[in-house]
Amino acid sequence: MKKIFLVMALLIFPAAVFAASQGYLEVTAPGTRLLQLAIAPPVALAGPENSAFSKDIVDALRFDMTLAGPFNVTTSPVTEGTSGIRPGDFDFTPWKAAGADLLIKTGYSQANGNVTLECRLYDVVRSQELAAKRYSGSAKELRRMAHTFSDEIMRVTTGEKGPFTGKIAFVSTRTGNKEIYLMDYDGYNVQRVTHNGSINLNPDFSPSGRELIYTSYKKGNPDLYRRELFTGTEARISARRGINITGAWAPDGNRIALAMSKDGTSQIYVISKDGKELARLTHSNAIDVSPAWSPDGSRLAFVSDRLGKPQVFIMNADGSNVHRLTTSGAYNVSPRWSPKGDRIAYCRQMGNGFQIFTINQDGSGDTQLTTDGSNEHPRWSPDGRYITFSSRRGGADALYVMRADGTGQAMISRGKGNDSHPVWSPRW
Amino acid sequence: MKRHVAGGFLVAGCMMLVAGGCAKEQVVNKDEGLAPTAAVAPAAPAKKEVVKETVQQTPVKESAVKEEAKPVSQQEELRSALEKIYFDFDSSRLTEADRAILAKDAGFMKKDAAVKVRIEGNCDERGSDEYNLALGQKRAEAARNYLVTMGVATDRLSVISYGKEKPADPGHDEAAWVKNRRDEFVVLQ
Repeated sequence: MKKIFLVMALLIFPAAVFAASQGYLEVTAPGTRLLQLAIAPPVALAGPENSAFSKDIVDALRFDMTLAGPFNVTTSPVTEGTSGIRPGDFDFTPWKAAGADLLIKTGYSQANGNVTLECRLYDVVRSQELAAKRYSGSAKELRRMAHTFSDEIMRVTTGEKGPFTGKIAFVSTRTGNKEIYLMDYDGYNVQRVTHNGSINLNPDFSPSGRELIYTSYKKGNPDLYRRELFTGTEARISARRGINITGAWAPDGNRIALAMSKDGTSQIYVISKDGKELARLTHSNAIDVSPAWSPDGSRLAFVSDRLGKPQVFIMNADGSNVHRLTTSGAYNVSPRWSPKGDRIAYCRQMGNGFQIFTINQDGSGDTQLTTDGSNEHPRWSPDGRYITFSSRRGGADALYVMRADGTGQAMISRGKGNDSHPVWSPRW
Repeated sequence: MKRHVAGGFLVAGCMMLVAGGCAKEQVVNKDEGLAPTAAVAPAAPAKKEVVKETVQQTPVKESAVKEEAKPVSQQEELRSALEKIYFDFDSSRLTEADRAILAKDAGFMKKDAAVKVRIEGNCDERGSDEYNLALGQKRAEAARNYLVTMGVATDRLSVISYGKEKPADPGHDEAAWVKNRRDEFVVLQ
């Protein structure tokens, strides 16, 4: 029985002081210099040192904090008189001399097969503790514990928790055909979800994070399935004649928008999570696919070639007020609305591939985020600060993460085969 | 100092249980529940079904008795007679050449009213995979509609789109793309 005992303490008061005296926005305002964030080498609080533990802890924290945005991360150790990690147990002077603004100190100990990880974030300039947490679990869960503290660091420094404990569902051909998998957002701990030997496409998380929908050819036709991740129970919820594709879970968790061709060309419909048809939203003679809900559920973006080539359109959730969003580029597809509601990510065909753009919902501020290789399937992190996507850069299709402005691109795929269709889970 | 902090942890931990314990427990439960998911049973039956289909098909063919020999050979004939049709980039419009091929195909199909045909729509790799699934469907339906106007009964024709999931040529150039923008005709038992 491997159970994480997430017993922790959160020292709220220093964080509140930090917020009041300095302000989150001031810390992360654009144009201000990056904060120097030092990650101290983990120390053994009790028992023997373990270099594998240290590596897991530092690697996970460094990956998270590097992607995070407001920080310039260093893991270079400084010479300290003691190895203490608690307030009063060590001296800030060498860290100040090294130019650190913030400092993460961690310590681990092992007992009865369980590892306990203690994490502390300090404001070096003020010699002040900002956050402290303690986690325990198996050694395999050390990375997860570190990600949990990363989420907390984001909360303390920016006012909103990070998405670093999230999972990414994706499609991979590593077994020879397209199956659906799940992994940590940084590519670790891959778990296979489908085993049907068929073609499986377009996973999307329910707002609870407990269920996935996807299209599968397992019974021949491209039908829509819903699967409970924790029981493995799978239900075929739309097997209507023709295609049942690009399912997108509504923010209310009860409805699903998808594209179906049962009445002619592919059109956008809304069904209940059990598959009952609730509404047909589009009535064109063209191809309409890839619906994407606004975070409040009041509108949908979708792709239509009703004017010739595929372009992104927006409509109200009842199908009214259809208008074109993208006006530049001949071929624009795969829209996804930011969970903050302000911007929509999509892909534009350029040359022999695609590039990822974001655009305001009124069509202004069209911005290209990627240039390297061919990049598709943008999906937002639940806090809207990051985007995961698939990219072909010379070799196989691999998954990446980046900040919402296109900076900080980092590959997260580690398996063989082509990985595509990533989707970032809601917070668990 | 150390003891004091440890005490603080306990107190704060208890407060968390009262204030936000729910969220934390969920994290724990979910993380734990996931492990079994990978090896869950439900997927297994699906695999069997796939196997069954192919297994069933083979015996039928092999055990065909003399009387059935004729239709089988006719099916074989039809199988080789039905030609693929090809499309322009991002188009489901039937060209003159396509129509000529479909007229011929319709003629073959009308010879044996028992035979059913599945039309498979496919695309090249350049479009988006999501849009291409819909485009492949449109291509398959374009062929079906034309065959119906040529007198083939609707219930003998089924359509499916594979988008860009099943390229005929795995290449990444125009020579491959031309071959991949196609409808294939599969004779069913």
